[in-house]
Amino acid sequence: MYYIILSILFPIFTGVYLLVRKEMKSRKNLLMAAGIFFVISAVLVILALCMAGNGLFTLFNLTNRLPILFKIDEVSVVFSVMAVVVIVCAGFFSFAYMKHEGKEKRYYGYYLIVLGVLIALCFAGNLITFYMFFEVLTLSSMPLVLHNGSKEAVMAGLKYLFYSLSGAYMSLFGIYFLERYGNTLTFSPGGVISAEMAVQHGGILLGICFAMLIGFGVKAGMFPMHAWLPAAHPVAPAPASAVLSAVIVKAGVLALVRVVYYIFGVSFLKGSWVQYAWIVLTLTTVFMGSMLAYREPVLKKRLAYSTVSQLSYILFGLSVMNAESVTGGLLHVLSHGFIKGALFLCAGAIIYMTGKTRVDQLRGIGKEMPLLMWCYTIVSLGLIGIPPTGGFISKWYLAQGALLSDIPGFNWIGPVILLISALLTAGYLLPLTIRGFFPGADYDYGTLKKKEPPLIMTVPILILTALSVGIGLFPQIVTNYLSHIVERVI
Amino acid sequence: MGANLFSNYGEAVAMILFGIGFGNLLLQSNLIKKIIGLNIMDTAIYLFLAEKGYIADRVAPIVTNGVQSMEAYINPIPSGLVLTGIVVSVSVSALMLSITIRLYQRYHTLDLDEISIRLKKEGL
Amino acid sequence: MNFVQNFPAVSILLCLFAGIISSGLKKKAARFVNTVLISIVGFLSLCTLIYVMGTGESFVYVMGMFPAPWGNEIRAGVLEAFTALFFCIIMLLSLAGGRKKLADEVEEGKTFLYYVLMDLLLASLLALVYTNDLFTAYVFVEINTIAACGLIMIRQNGRTIEAAARYMIMSLLGSGLLLMGLCMLYDLTGHLLMSNIKEQIKWVYVSGQYRIPLLVTIALLSVGLAIKSALFPFHAWLPDAYGYSTVSSAAILSSLVSKGYIFLLIKIIYRVVGFEIFYESRIVDVLFVFGLMGMIFGSISAIRENDVRRMIAFSSVAQIGYIYMGIGMGTQAGMEASIFHIFSHAATKSLLFIGAIGLTDVSGGSRQFIELTGSAYRNKWAGVTFTVGSLSMVGVPLFSGFISKLLFAQAAVQNDVKMLPALIILGISTILNAIYFMKTVIRIYTPVEERKYESITFKDMKLYVATLACFIILNVVLGVSSQPIADIIGQGLAMFS
Repeated sequence: MYYIILSILFPIFTGVYLLVRKEMKSRKNLLMAAGIFFVISAVLVILALCMAGNGLFTLFNLTNRLPILFKIDEVSVVFSVMAVVVIVCAGFFSFAYMKHEGKEKRYYGYYLIVLGVLIALCFAGNLITFYMFFEVLTLSSMPLVLHNGSKEAVMAGLKYLFYSLSGAYMSLFGIYFLERYGNTLTFSPGGVISAEMAVQHGGILLGICFAMLIGFGVKAGMFPMHAWLPAAHPVAPAPASAVLSAVIVKAGVLALVRVVYYIFGVSFLKGSWVQYAWIVLTLTTVFMGSMLAYREPVLKKRLAYSTVSQLSYILFGLSVMNAESVTGGLLHVLSHGFIKGALFLCAGAIIYMTGKTRVDQLRGIGKEMPLLMWCYTIVSLGLIGIPPTGGFISKWYLAQGALLSDIPGFNWIGPVILLISALLTAGYLLPLTIRGFFPGADYDYGTLKKKEPPLIMTVPILILTALSVGIGLFPQIVTNYLSHIVERVI
Repeated sequence: MGANLFSNYGEAVAMILFGIGFGNLLLQSNLIKKIIGLNIMDTAIYLFLAEKGYIADRVAPIVTNGVQSMEAYINPIPSGLVLTGIVVSVSVSALMLSITIRLYQRYHTLDLDEISIRLKKEGL
Repeated sequence: MNFVQNFPAVSILLCLFAGIISSGLKKKAARFVNTVLISIVGFLSLCTLIYVMGTGESFVYVMGMFPAPWGNEIRAGVLEAFTALFFCIIMLLSLAGGRKKLADEVEEGKTFLYYVLMDLLLASLLALVYTNDLFTAYVFVEINTIAACGLIMIRQNGRTIEAAARYMIMSLLGSGLLLMGLCMLYDLTGHLLMSNIKEQIKWVYVSGQYRIPLLVTIALLSVGLAIKSALFPFHAWLPDAYGYSTVSSAAILSSLVSKGYIFLLIKIIYRVVGFEIFYESRIVDVLFVFGLMGMIFGSISAIRENDVRRMIAFSSVAQIGYIYMGIGMGTQAGMEASIFHIFSHAATKSLLFIGAIGLTDVSGGSRQFIELTGSAYRNKWAGVTFTVGSLSMVGVPLFSGFISKLLFAQAAVQNDVKMLPALIILGISTILNAIYFMKTVIRIYTPVEERKYESITFKDMKLYVATLACFIILNVVLGVSSQPIADIIGQGLAMFS
């Protein structure tokens, strides 16, 4: 039991400690401390996952009816494992990368706090606990966006803040109503809305559900509240962008999983206007994100737009609400997390070694850093959905789910849009590979220098790449696990 | 309605005076006129109270020739309230006047709006 | 009669005596008397609170030997005792936090007067909280006004005197209306004691007579007190008064003085007019609408403000709007939320004022945002405190502001008609709050390249830092363990009727 609380509080307290203590004597000490904190946090999370069991852990009562409580279930496991892996990898990557960004103590402080808050989100057992840490996540991740302090970063940070707060308030609005009309805010598979309530207050509950979808969808970059994401993610330092894009946005996805499958329940929502509206929104986002990414010349921004699009793949899977699609969505949570983490770290490594940010400047990059570009290419293929990577499996499930669903119209529009978007994904990711490895006849090989990044940067990228391929090679391990979740919620 | 108003003309006058005082206190920009408005307003309330306490054909409850029946006297409590009220309003007026003097010494004007404009110019 | 039952009356008298004694003392002695006084009064209130919670019912203390319909009474229940205790805590902390600044801003020879005024202010606040007699309430309302006016203009510059004048004028308008309302109430019922008036009003109301005079009376009382507590649109005096007076004054004015009037209004609603009769008049809707408008316009003015102190002052306008919105909701839950917000806002606003002064002090005394850049690095404790206050105001969980908003929203969803406007305005206002508070927080944490101002060290301001720590603890306690306080409020309201 206490491992839960320890695994949440340890990163938060060590983060605060790093923030408040004096500047360390040397950079080495700081990195050592941060590294040790990362490892201990990861170990604690694993301990919590193994030891805590299925019980509820009530921390204290905010008011009589609103306890702050934690519970570990399969969804927590999926999200927390993904979060910890990406955060620790990106954390070690930062050891080299953050040298040229400066203000490292502050960076690692907030980084650890974000880790703790994310774990808390994964373990949250009811909506009010979730909401509380959701707000804290926004506030504690904002310094990562603001890190370099430029005007652009501040504007992006403010944009992030206001979008997130508005979204969070919309969700809070829903929580108020749920507290009135629902009998509990505790997550339980299959939802807490009883049949009687669904009849009595059906209309208002659907309205609330939609408000909460939009509100929490802000964090997941869902249309119409997606504009903050392409602004905020690229201005952060690259490892922080990796965390923002791969993990923190997943908090929004987790929120939607919790709200839809653990509060409202499939039986209540399936076939309602909310479901259709949600599908439309996700498909719009999928398409629009890919289009915008395709037109974007700056690599990191391109990846951010890609996040917008890929997240809505997940949300599309969730919105179709059948076993295959939900499996696909949750699988894509994992594979997108690893892939997008790796992609941003690659972009970071390129910036760190060459200082170039635009795609068209990167001709011949594959000749300069072949290993890095191989990783980039493999994970890109994964994101497009080409076997044998994890992306293929998840998209397979998504498409199958859409086809099997009995929603008229969407059962063929959905797969078509997914396919078009996959083509666009290839269109915006692969040019870098192609130009990188085949710079053309006029490329001046004389100036070519090997610029492979240091080991501490390459290893995290390699780990993430390996994981994303691993999901593709042995999908049944993951899908078997996910089937436990799916069985209980559908 | 009309008959009621006429028989309670004292209260009606008090209300009109209250309105005049209130308006002056709110709308005048001259501080002294504001204070006069304040006094009119307060006095109107005392008039209202006195009217309420007075019962026709009775005398003030001052015992001179033994206690008569309760029916002979007016209600003394409003008079007590009026006295207390006067004390309060005197102190408040004094405070207002002292503030006015301070402002006049600084800005040589009694016009509150003009003082505000000057303060803005000072940029304090 | 239990010995503890003397405590409310004793604490009021103690304050008055302390004021008189202090007027003959030197600065340090007056300060000492004041600190001891507030502590003693706080302790007495605590005893009263424990006693009342033990017996489970309120008690009436007869002043002098005159029994009910004629004499003057004091009445103490759970809510009264808790409010008194809370006011003492806030006052003590605000004075401690602003002590250093006071020495700079007030003439050396006049500092003792500041403490005299503070004693009298406490006396009047306690009287407002405890009294069971309406005319006594009026008298202490005036004493409160005079003391508050003195607190504004004890720092001598043109702005404060003008602010004091404006404050006086608005207050006098308010108390004029209040007094008129009281007289009409006396006219209608023939009583001045709250409990007796309530019986009579119930009787008058059931008999169906005097409906219009009753309505006018309720309107006069509510509007009078609303003006005095700076409900929008009667807030014109507020930014100057809070913005330019010395910092302890600003903290105490915004968190205690205006709250004293609101507390009196709530008492009038429950103990004089009666909850049901009050809500059957349409006055609640008026209060509700003005509350909502205050929430929006106060925040908008705050966003446009370039001066941090005035910004916090405008935020007070918005917060008072919240309180009136809760009162106007017309439900028990709304009232409980309002009372909780009285406490939570008192704790947060004084914290913000005291925190802001630490930031302006390390920015060359300038309160303009541009100068405040990076001030949180120069005074870390003030920076953290200000951030905590801002988060609380925005309504981030774990701080007191979140609980208030939660309670308001819970109250709102119980009222079908007012639910939608209340929730929407609550949402807009939250986002507006976030805009100006987060803007400030980002500003104070934006590093500056050249070192224009000195940073401050812990040694210079032990007392200040201790105060800030207490404020933060208070805020978090309100935010985390709100249930006992909500219980006290519920119990207290039950004792009212």
